[in-house]
Amino acid sequence: MSITLDQLTKRYQGLPVVNDVSLSVAEGEFFVLLGPSGSGKSTLLRAIAGLTGIDHGRIALHGRDVTYLPARQREVGFVFQNYALFGHMTVAENIEFALRVRKVKAADRRARQRELLRMVALEGMGDRLPSQLSGGQQQRVAVARALAHRPNVLLLDEPFGALDARIREDLRGTIREVQRELGISAILVTHDQEEAFALADRIGVMNQGRLLDSGTPDELYSRPASRFVATFLGAANLLLACRTADGIDFNAAADDRREGPRDPEVVVVVRPQDIELAGARDRLDSQYIGQGSVESIVYTGASEKLRIRPLRDSALARISSSGSAEKKGMLEVTRSQHEQSENPFATGQTVAIGVRHVHMLPTPLTSFIVCAASAPDAEALERHPLLEDLVAKMQTRVTVNLDAALPGNPPRPGSAATGVAVISAGADAPARIARLFRDGATEVLVLPVFRQAPKRVLIHWTDDAARRSTLAVAASLLRHVPAEALSLNVLPAGSAERERHQGMFGLLDARSEGQAIHRFDVRTELRVGDAAEELARELASLAGEMLILGVSDPAEVERRFDGLLGGTLTHPAIVVCASGREHPRFAHVR
Amino acid sequence: MSAEGAVVSARTGRLRQPSVIPGFGLTVGFTTFFLSAIVLLPLAALVLRAMGMEWHRFWETLLDPRAIASYRLTFGASLIAAGINAVFGFLIAWSLVRYEFPGRRIIDALIDMPFALPTAVSGIALTAVLADNGWIGSWLAQYGIRVAYTPLGVIVALTLIGMPFVVRTVQPALAEVERDLEDVAETLGAGGFYRLRHIILPAVLPAILTGFTLAFARAVGEYGSVIFISGNLPMRTEITPLLIVVKLEQFDYAGAAALGFAMLVIAFVMLFVINLVQVWGRRRYVVAHR
Repeated sequence: MSITLDQLTKRYQGLPVVNDVSLSVAEGEFFVLLGPSGSGKSTLLRAIAGLTGIDHGRIALHGRDVTYLPARQREVGFVFQNYALFGHMTVAENIEFALRVRKVKAADRRARQRELLRMVALEGMGDRLPSQLSGGQQQRVAVARALAHRPNVLLLDEPFGALDARIREDLRGTIREVQRELGISAILVTHDQEEAFALADRIGVMNQGRLLDSGTPDELYSRPASRFVATFLGAANLLLACRTADGIDFNAAADDRREGPRDPEVVVVVRPQDIELAGARDRLDSQYIGQGSVESIVYTGASEKLRIRPLRDSALARISSSGSAEKKGMLEVTRSQHEQSENPFATGQTVAIGVRHVHMLPTPLTSFIVCAASAPDAEALERHPLLEDLVAKMQTRVTVNLDAALPGNPPRPGSAATGVAVISAGADAPARIARLFRDGATEVLVLPVFRQAPKRVLIHWTDDAARRSTLAVAASLLRHVPAEALSLNVLPAGSAERERHQGMFGLLDARSEGQAIHRFDVRTELRVGDAAEELARELASLAGEMLILGVSDPAEVERRFDGLLGGTLTHPAIVVCASGREHPRFAHVR
Repeated sequence: MSAEGAVVSARTGRLRQPSVIPGFGLTVGFTTFFLSAIVLLPLAALVLRAMGMEWHRFWETLLDPRAIASYRLTFGASLIAAGINAVFGFLIAWSLVRYEFPGRRIIDALIDMPFALPTAVSGIALTAVLADNGWIGSWLAQYGIRVAYTPLGVIVALTLIGMPFVVRTVQPALAEVERDLEDVAETLGAGGFYRLRHIILPAVLPAILTGFTLAFARAVGEYGSVIFISGNLPMRTEITPLLIVVKLEQFDYAGAAALGFAMLVIAFVMLFVINLVQVWGRRRYVVAHR
């Protein structure tokens, strides 16, 4: 591995801007860090170069730990968006800079500089001053300069940001060629997904300081692991559906009034080009999911973009489409010219909607159900900033279930099983959580009156059976909350040496499981004592903590954590009950 | 192209493209008039006055040993003071631009104090502190260093009044040196001193030179602050401006004009040389940043 990052964390004013990022870039690989502005990708790149200090974690380049080395000893090449050429030096002097610092002989310097100028297609320009070159040429010089000292890795921070489209494409080609020719590993930071797709061997998607996912462009596009990746890489429609024994049922999720036990709710990604429209249901070639009316049609030449508003009674009432509020609740569809001419539609027309290909996300946090005794209570809960924030970021829905919260009044069977139950904190919270679990809920979010946004999330599961579900919830939550995470394993007091070893192994297993299944890295700590006490102490240590607690037996909530979850809980908490049902890693339905 | 442009210009009767600010003729006219009336005319009068002397009297006045000693002190001390200011003014500008520390704004505001203070006040204040019985002077006297009433005192006074010129010209230039330039130099392997020498200094050198020139020019013309601290001992701590005042007080207007003429010539030559250096130094950098 030529670049290895291990749980890299950088805080700014107490908040993580780079949050537990672990990453390996192979020899000669071109890795693109993709993310919106403010996602921490540039900070991460500067940390690798040594231009920014880090608060936690390790950095190794070519197997050499450089965490505490200054930038000038790390042997990296760095290219800035604004070229950062030395204006008082000629192109040749700029390129030879690193060699002059290293006191390389003049003849060798010149030879190397000529070779580099040839590589970036600027032969014979050595005597010019940077100001006499165009933007694209200047960036070529910057690339050549960054490579002069034969660095271990090449780091590029939005190198095409200041260039116009044609030059950008040219330079892209040159950089890729040079990188291949030299066999050097490179990390490029960009917010432009087209650029990422064009250049990358592998893409890492960052948001809110976390590396959400990494993989080949094709993997990420066709099998995203999170809502953010799905919607950030190309357009996507996010739909709620139920997973049944024989596939995905879009109708069940739409109907909240249906009685009887439910299948687990899932989040499904449908790409705009995977949706088929027809005048009537029987003319569809693919799986019918409902009806809608054509809201708008935009021709873009080769294709046509439509927005479909689902009809109220159809399955698609629960869409959350990526993007702005005006598009909310609309289905985005892209049709080829061929489809368009075969089946022309006009705005306002009612159409049957079918899906050719869907992808299911592994997130257990699908939607929220607010459980409260009265309508005002429910409204207050719905307006809790943490819940509002989660709902907005997850682009999901909140429903209200009043009955379930009434003491002694059993909720409708199975009605809580389709999403995360949300209740308010209070002395009776443990009892209500246990009851919701017995009724089939798997996750309960407890919200205190206190409204501080979480800065750190504490994760604990009581036994190995609860580990997988707890990790899934933690991974899903932490994609949306910019907080640091700590997984705490507590061994009973007086544990034998052997048990301690097993505890350590358990934590290592958990970490690798989180990485493998959820692309989620978490810091771990092993304690000895009573779990509830240790958690309470840890929660009290910092304002702005949040708790994720996993149990495998609903009775444990009341038995062991009554003090922690009842009474004056000042931190939001999610309690997870391992239900035995597994959330799928990925599922495809064709 | 240019021929066509000229034709158009001829037809419209304009020498230049119309600019955003109207009245090119008016402004140039005013500039010329202003320069003539305020600067060139009095200078010409000075020269004429000096020329009115007999040749041998003129040379005698100029080459009088007392006068020559005063030239040496005036221009020597001014050069040294400007040099000190160039170095330490750069350091002050550096710390003000690059670091955020408590009291930074106050220090920033204090820089301008020598501008605002009547120079005589600075002179009296400096003398009070640096005289043999002053706070610093008495302490330095223990080591046999005398500041007040020596050429050293002159240098101190000239340094004080020249310092803001360097700081205020270097500050904006330093602020413009992008951090990225330093960062990129660091990733290329350059250590702190190498970056200062090869990246930062070349970028701010023109500004430092400008500041140096301004501080030097200001020091040459300085009178108020120096006369208190120098003690005005002929041949030792007497500056040319003072010698001129002495001559005026003796109603030797021609002699004063002759000395003034000498200062004018020396100052002009020195500023001209500094300007040449500046042009040479700036040529690459300014072209590079156009």
